[in-house]
Amino acid sequence: MKQTIALLTALTCGVAQSSASDRIDFLNDVMPVLTKMGCNAGACHGSAAGRGNFNLSLYGGNPQADYEAIVREISGRRINLQKPEESLIILKPTFAIDHGGKFLMDDDHEGTQLLLRWIREGAEMVTHRELERVEFTPGSRFIEQADVDIQLHAEAFYTDGSSKDVTPWTVFSAEDSSAVRIDNDSAVATPLRGGRHIITARYLDSVAPIEIVIPLSNEPIDLAGQSSRNFIDDEVLSLLAKLRLPVSPQADESTFIRRLYLDLTGRLPEPDKVMAYLENQDQNKKEELIDELLRTEAFNEYWTYKLAKWLRMGTDPNDEDGIATYRLWLSKQIEKDVGYNEIARNLILATGNTHDVGPANFYRTVDGPREQAEFVSELFMGSRLRCANCHNHPLDKWTQDDYHGLASIFSKIESAQIVRVKASGDVINPRTREPAMARIPGEYYLKDKTKDGREDLVEWLIADDNPYFAKAIVNRLWSSLMGRGLVEPVDDMRTTNPATHPVLLDRLAEDFAANGYRIRPILKRIASSATYARSSNTLPGNTEDNRYYSHALRRPLEAEVLADAISYVLNIPAKYQGKANGQRAITLADPYTPSRALDILGRCGREESCEGETSISGGLTRNLHLLNGELINARISLEEGRLARLFDADTAPMDIIDELYLVALSRTPGSAERRFWREQLANMDSVEQQQRLLEDFMWSLLASSTFNSK
Amino acid sequence: MARRDFVRVGGLTALGLGLGNFLGLQRLVAESKAQLSPRAKSCILIWLDGGPSHLESFDPKPDAPKEVRGPMTSIPTNLNGVRLGECLENTAAIMDKVAIVRSMTSPLGEHQFGAHYMMTGYKPSPALVYPTMGATLAHLRSQIGVLPSNIAVPAFPNLVSGSGYLSGSVGPFSVGGDPRSHDFKVRDLDLYAGIDLARLDRRLEFVEAIDAFESEKNASNSTPTDPDLVRAYNLLANPEAKRAFTLSDEPEALRHSYGWLDSGNNNIGQSCLLARRLVERGVPFVTVNSSGWDAHADIIQLKARYSTDKNGLLPSLDRAFSTLVRDLSDRGMLNETLVVVMGEFGRTPRINSNAGRDHWPNCFSVALAGGGIQGGQVVGSSDSLGEFPKERPVTPSDLAATIYTLLGIDPATELQTPDGRPVRVTPDGSKVVSELV
Repeated sequence: MKQTIALLTALTCGVAQSSASDRIDFLNDVMPVLTKMGCNAGACHGSAAGRGNFNLSLYGGNPQADYEAIVREISGRRINLQKPEESLIILKPTFAIDHGGKFLMDDDHEGTQLLLRWIREGAEMVTHRELERVEFTPGSRFIEQADVDIQLHAEAFYTDGSSKDVTPWTVFSAEDSSAVRIDNDSAVATPLRGGRHIITARYLDSVAPIEIVIPLSNEPIDLAGQSSRNFIDDEVLSLLAKLRLPVSPQADESTFIRRLYLDLTGRLPEPDKVMAYLENQDQNKKEELIDELLRTEAFNEYWTYKLAKWLRMGTDPNDEDGIATYRLWLSKQIEKDVGYNEIARNLILATGNTHDVGPANFYRTVDGPREQAEFVSELFMGSRLRCANCHNHPLDKWTQDDYHGLASIFSKIESAQIVRVKASGDVINPRTREPAMARIPGEYYLKDKTKDGREDLVEWLIADDNPYFAKAIVNRLWSSLMGRGLVEPVDDMRTTNPATHPVLLDRLAEDFAANGYRIRPILKRIASSATYARSSNTLPGNTEDNRYYSHALRRPLEAEVLADAISYVLNIPAKYQGKANGQRAITLADPYTPSRALDILGRCGREESCEGETSISGGLTRNLHLLNGELINARISLEEGRLARLFDADTAPMDIIDELYLVALSRTPGSAERRFWREQLANMDSVEQQQRLLEDFMWSLLASSTFNSK
Repeated sequence: MARRDFVRVGGLTALGLGLGNFLGLQRLVAESKAQLSPRAKSCILIWLDGGPSHLESFDPKPDAPKEVRGPMTSIPTNLNGVRLGECLENTAAIMDKVAIVRSMTSPLGEHQFGAHYMMTGYKPSPALVYPTMGATLAHLRSQIGVLPSNIAVPAFPNLVSGSGYLSGSVGPFSVGGDPRSHDFKVRDLDLYAGIDLARLDRRLEFVEAIDAFESEKNASNSTPTDPDLVRAYNLLANPEAKRAFTLSDEPEALRHSYGWLDSGNNNIGQSCLLARRLVERGVPFVTVNSSGWDAHADIIQLKARYSTDKNGLLPSLDRAFSTLVRDLSDRGMLNETLVVVMGEFGRTPRINSNAGRDHWPNCFSVALAGGGIQGGQVVGSSDSLGEFPKERPVTPSDLAATIYTLLGIDPATELQTPDGRPVRVTPDGSKVVSELV
């Protein structure tokens, strides 16, 4: 080893004598070594507390602090200007002495040589040029099959017009390491299976995704026969064609009407509506039905419920007046089809008495300016700023200055029953240990400290060119109707978590903005697409697909919707504590209204904005309750219930079966089903026995996965 | 229709339609990789919710100044030189079977965070909710018989989700109710008035028929009947399994020796007895949840509310824990049953102005017995005031790695999040406490 170092010394001495502009650039040469070798990763010296008393900023977010840590701390022992090869930052990563992070590079590794040269030149904070941008290639690549090597490349461009190949100093990592193998020494990616894969490329603090698309089958696929009703179908079909995924046919009309009613109104369609729709021969009946539902009071109720969840309405369980006022205000906005931009403006700028001014309750949802910043960014930007509380976001562009800058905007809000703007207020930025400067995240500082920063925030947020606002809400609306966000999770939109269909997301957001940010037109657009109307029945070849919309995704009903649907089928309303008999669960303003049934059905508390209720499985407690508890059993045979009335009218047993199928599943049973039920009934000796069997049938209908999902 | 008292495995064989492998083959594959040779078959976690004081229980400081020592004294144990808080007199007599870790340390002094860290081995993260040890165990071990693999008595603390990123069906099943009451029953385990088992059986068959018809047109089974519906049925239809919850089967003397008449919400004695009945029937993980340990005021109340009261939290814990260990030992089950006593953190060494102690995660104690651990030892130590570990700091991650190892699960086993991310059972860098295993 000594020999190698001697040789290196000779080499580097020669270099050190060259012109000043050739000297090692701390920002552009040394920092990339630290990032590439993982020194400043969260698991090593980049963690908040550092490692082994050596603390670097996460992924080099703060080069000045890193320079101080390397050159000045522990009396400069990390750097030995007299004997550069005995500097700790050489000895440790080459494992010449014990290192918690073990062996990282040998003596003639390019990184080792670079660090040695830099120390030999005086270990100074020299920089020659400013990084402007980095281009990672390929941005997106379609290849015919897996197991093909793809060369990755990163080129840095500087403000002085120069550029440099920085591939060796770029870290490439696969989103799913079991799908793509990456050799970081040669920067070669080898996808191991079909599908759409994402590789994250990072050079210093520039991060970008690289997309690789590989067909999932070798069979050519002809999608020419697939109907396209609008741009949604164009985009979805184009990716399906690339992936060669077979496309399930359109759902039958019964399935469609049940799905549409549940998605737009949170209710099951009544039998006469179903029959009328099935009998209607009009070409445009689908569009007409969508329009009709968008005009209903049920739509207002259901979308008030949906938005209330996203707004986490009701976390303050002790203030019923506030929640009631807030809920009423929201339902008015939905009823009047007020643009979501105006809703956001009214919420963010709200002040006043929360018992009179609905939107003022927005400031009583979470407690404190930092929490408010996190809530606002998740809700309106679909971004998880909270990582940037303690360090710059490792996968996104958010810095601590962004996080605390946004929190600073809310620091003057006093959120008691009366929400008002105080004369002053601060949050401390832990990086500077001083009051944070108010800042529009990722953009600019607000200079005028006397002004209420919320106005600047709103103007920036709801401007037509804001990159987050429209996409964040459109992605949630899409997820509500399709069962999966184009970006998932819906509040984690970032460059390194790209949409499955980026162009589609852009076009939906443009469409939304062009229609005044109103939810009805965009919901109509989605519901009118052939993509939305697809069957959830899978074909051989598309069963595994859960993100490209080759078939519809079956989704569980939300707890409140399910509770209402059960009451509707039984034709006996539920009774909620302190509420009028018959009040439907989706209209309960307080998510903490005591109800064992709603708890058991898995209602959402409001600590989170409640997305992704993906599991149809309800757990043991719920199923024991279905079997032995009151939810269904106590109401199934009541004399004013649906079943008792059918018995009273001497309805024939098979007609009762038909009727219940229609009420619960919006369809009549098929011939095999009829045969099955007829045989069951035939085994019964008496009318009473038949009635017990029909009770059991009704119970089973309500407990089935079929009923519990859409 | 004939009553079925065998275990339903699901599937409508008459129609030739199966329910598919809803429990997933992945689990079996993962299992075969994950299993070490287990010493313990089951684990009973006695969870002291709120954060028990280490100074009044497993790490007394008789020589410290009064404001640290607190109002209680300490007693010797059958382990030379090791003392316990004065309330733990029965535990003192079985210290040869117990190991105490006195150098637990965590940075998280908030209930929810601390509970998450202790129960999952992971610090809480906004990006991912981790599964508790019971959920991971239920996920990796296939269910034996019809009792759930992860049970909480009487109810799981609502601080932690339980199943985390794993399927909800591996989350703890809370039995509910009060095990002290003479008519203690698990909620919804008894048939609804007027409905017999034959009808439930028929109902289940109908559910499966409805869902199977719906799925018929499918290449895959997109609407399988909820497997938990079948599990629920199997449980309620199995008198022998239900018997596990019938505490009245136990001799009165034994019930009293666990502690029966504990005051207030304190039902730790009968909960521990129920836990024993469950592990006896093969349940891998039972959490006994004891509340009320968040003693910000009047630490003396952990001993008694009034002078003759023998039902304070500490004496109740002492009776329940020591009887549980003896009972398991008498039945030859102690070696295969790991008992862990812990809460989310310790309490401030200095008594506060309300004569209580506040949250203190920097140093606290955990007690373990059975499951093949080396009893009769104290691992690590705290400084003279019980403020910080003096020797051998142990993190909640290390403790979790140790518990998993004792239960036969390699802490390096990788689980999958719903979006396909591999996550280790315990964090990278967690180290098994070798003295214990």
